[in-house]
Amino acid sequence: MDYLLHIFIVSLIYAIFAMSLNLELGFTGLYNFGHVAFFGIGAYTSALLSLAGHPVTLGMVCSMIVSGGMGALLAIPALRLTGDYFGIATLSFGEITRLFFLNERWLTKGPMGLPGIPRPTWIGEGVAGLPWFLIFCMLLTLVVFILTRHLTRSPFGRALKVVREDEYVAQALGKNALSFKIRAVTVGSILAGLAGSLWAHYISYISPADFTLTETILVLLCVVLGGRGTNWGPILGAFVIIFFQEIIRFLPIPADFDRFVAPIQGMVYGAVLIILMLKRPEGLLQEYKE
Amino acid sequence: MVYGVFRFINFAHGELIAWGAYLALFFTRSPFYLPIYFAALPALLITALIGLAQDRFVFEPLRHGNRITLLIASIGLSYFLRNAIRLIWGSDLQTYGFMPTRGIDLAGLSITSAQITMMVAAILFLGILYIILAHTMLGKSLRAVADNMTLAQIMGITIKKVSLAVWVLASFFSAVGGVLLAVDTNLEPMMGLTNLLKAFAAVLLGGAGNVWGALLGGLIIGVAENLSVAFISPGYKDFISFALIILMLLFRPKGIFGILGGVR
Repeated sequence: MDYLLHIFIVSLIYAIFAMSLNLELGFTGLYNFGHVAFFGIGAYTSALLSLAGHPVTLGMVCSMIVSGGMGALLAIPALRLTGDYFGIATLSFGEITRLFFLNERWLTKGPMGLPGIPRPTWIGEGVAGLPWFLIFCMLLTLVVFILTRHLTRSPFGRALKVVREDEYVAQALGKNALSFKIRAVTVGSILAGLAGSLWAHYISYISPADFTLTETILVLLCVVLGGRGTNWGPILGAFVIIFFQEIIRFLPIPADFDRFVAPIQGMVYGAVLIILMLKRPEGLLQEYKE
Repeated sequence: MVYGVFRFINFAHGELIAWGAYLALFFTRSPFYLPIYFAALPALLITALIGLAQDRFVFEPLRHGNRITLLIASIGLSYFLRNAIRLIWGSDLQTYGFMPTRGIDLAGLSITSAQITMMVAAILFLGILYIILAHTMLGKSLRAVADNMTLAQIMGITIKKVSLAVWVLASFFSAVGGVLLAVDTNLEPMMGLTNLLKAFAAVLLGGAGNVWGALLGGLIIGVAENLSVAFISPGYKDFISFALIILMLLFRPKGIFGILGGVR
């Protein structure tokens, strides 16, 4: 039962993370391959603040502010690049961020990571706090869901879609495409930071190994599998992926075969991405088009 | 190179570097025990085949599709290939098992014989690439397709043939690069991605589609990386090329020599 709670919590955190990426990838058409950087920045900001004795809520708010700020800082120069170059720049940014976590030992303790990150006091430590943490995550997911749905249905969201479909049309309609993209990335980064800080406070231990390309692929898969540019897609995708990941643990795998499990899992993710792109690029849920 | 012709970034290209290196490793070990020069040959051929398979099964069907679809597929493919390496050869560092030889002193710099071989081989292969691109019919049609795919088709150039040639050449050369790199350093599953990013930094420095520019860009990055160890912590060695990519993209998206026009 506790294990089921754990799966739900992780799924919800990934759902928030995926929704934040969906805002950029799905609605605005920006291939951000370094999105995990903002997840990591959020996690580290919140963890460091709460380890220094500040209340968790303050840490979470600060992590959103810092991630959003970094997102805007990256977006303003990087978005002057078009298309594929943006993908390369964000991928490099993700790697730079990971190297930063790994090397700035005075701040992040390097590869050792940060253990003992506290949970919000009213939730309580250990297994007893799990149901409360789940409710907390559900509330936040709901808030994020309503927020993104509201955003994407507003004139702002429609403008984002126009930018995605054709930047010149957007400009001809008097919309400043660059400014819309920057705002989309900033909001996406803020939400990714929120997901990251939730992750840090839930797992209570973070290290640079948690924020690699693997997580980027995982969250990309959540968005693409669920359905790009839909509101429910990322949530569905996150639940499917996380449940799939946890079910693998129960397969009867001989002990000496253990070392092969992670690579095969990776191959499956890669293959699913390719096959999805070939056969059903719109994902499980299809974007409604007028 | 693939980028120059088809105008999209193939994230899986780095994996071809890694596959080339690992396959060479495979042929130097039991049951083959080939010396590295001979082991490289089948490795290069198989890598070229992998490159062709990539094109045939993934990119060919997607060529006229959405760009985002193409990019996501290529990053998925890269992840797939990398994990296949981890599955077959494990995630640990590996080497070809050469003894570290004493370097020859050359004007105060220490250079090993392996490094000299690498340099000679690199220059040789670059020369071959240049001749193919600039002086053969194939090279001409390649450049035509890169310039304008539809027009090239009208002039009677078969896109299928050209794309075949591009993939064979590109995978062949990246496998050469992989083997040469692995001779000097070591093999690890992540080598594909890091080296792809570095290669990108090199290409961007030199200006896309310019062979000599890419060579010079590669030199600058190699030197900058190794010099940087003297000034900042070695952990940031990879940082240099990533930072360079971002800087170059921001300030000189056409590369240092972009204005000169270059070969293409």
